[in-house]
Amino acid sequence: MKFIPKEIRENVNVSKVPAGREFLRLIAEILGAILIVYLALGFALDYIAPRISTDMEAAIGRIFSAKFADNKYPKTEEQVQGILNELLKRSSLPKFDYAAHITPSKEINALAFPAGNIIVYSALLKEVKSRNELAMVLAHELGHFAHRDHLRGLGRGFVLLVLSSVTLGTDSTVSKFIGNILSGAEMKFSQAQEKAADTYALGLLYKTYNNAAGAADFYQKMAAKEKIPRIFYFFATHPYIKDRIELINGIIKEKGYAVGFLTPIDFPELAKDK
Amino acid sequence: MRDLFDLIYFCAMVAIGYFVGTQVEKKHYQEIIAREADTMKLPAVTGQDYLEDNAQITEARMVYGSVVISTDYFRLIVAGLRNLLGGEVSAYETLLDRGRREAVLRMKENAIGADIILNMRIESCQISQMGTVEVFAYGTAVYYKK
Repeated sequence: MKFIPKEIRENVNVSKVPAGREFLRLIAEILGAILIVYLALGFALDYIAPRISTDMEAAIGRIFSAKFADNKYPKTEEQVQGILNELLKRSSLPKFDYAAHITPSKEINALAFPAGNIIVYSALLKEVKSRNELAMVLAHELGHFAHRDHLRGLGRGFVLLVLSSVTLGTDSTVSKFIGNILSGAEMKFSQAQEKAADTYALGLLYKTYNNAAGAADFYQKMAAKEKIPRIFYFFATHPYIKDRIELINGIIKEKGYAVGFLTPIDFPELAKDK
Repeated sequence: MRDLFDLIYFCAMVAIGYFVGTQVEKKHYQEIIAREADTMKLPAVTGQDYLEDNAQITEARMVYGSVVISTDYFRLIVAGLRNLLGGEVSAYETLLDRGRREAVLRMKENAIGADIILNMRIESCQISQMGTVEVFAYGTAVYYKK
């Protein structure tokens, strides 16, 4: 047998697709898949959120119960719950045990969670100087409940939470895990929802106390701290704060609400914490 | 803000990997092709029944060529993405092709003057998780009486 040396011309062991094009194709495939899932969850959320029954919501509320467990400020919670109960007497909301929970945090915020749970951060209470102001904040959260914003506000992950609750039950570790992630993520309400909640809050405040004093106080304090110009609010989750103050004052004038006295309030338990 | 820096760093590494890596690969292939032309006359076969009839063998010894070769960061990322979706990881094909050909060339270069290399085997193993592989080619070089 004779050996005839041959040059390798066509390299069959190497793919003809250049690495750059392979990279772009993979990126496109993966992003495409993510986009499809994202859109599907968006549609599912829009469909599911308004159709959740109060029973289902009560069950889902239990998944978040670990967040409400810590009772660091029992007297403060009583004070806040007292004002909340006054507001509840005059409102017609879905039937839940509406409860206020105070959580230590440096963030100035209050959140509406499923099944009537309202979390108020301690930093927010430290800003509040009157009962009227606090009532307005609580009424605003009740406004979100009235409009069932809080379910959509949990985001697309909520669809997965519902699926998990329905198939595996609300006690399963999977449901609790998803609930944990959702409660950590930011609650997103649209600007329209925020304004609607403000309108509801003012109405409820006046119905309960016949006094619109202090309705815009909290926002005015926040406005003083606000550094971002209006133009950046186009994409924000909250409306530009001065617009909210104008909205509230506008309604007070339009409806001729009486503006009486402010009743001061303070939180001794929080004053102990620095 | 830190996430942004991380992202920029990552993109820079991928870009450097792509441009530099593609050049390195091109250059290596040019070298390989030139050396293959030089060593083309020395046959390396995987069997053993290829000795010439009536040949008188003066020497037979083991020869081997080994190369440790790495892929660039860009191809590493492409392979990682391919790992998600499944299928042919073409990003590593050129790496192994170059490795094999380089190892065989080094083996042949160790056997200058031989008439044939019998029982050639090629083996590869992973050196690190960053796409580094060693390719090892070995065989028996046979020298006929001149």
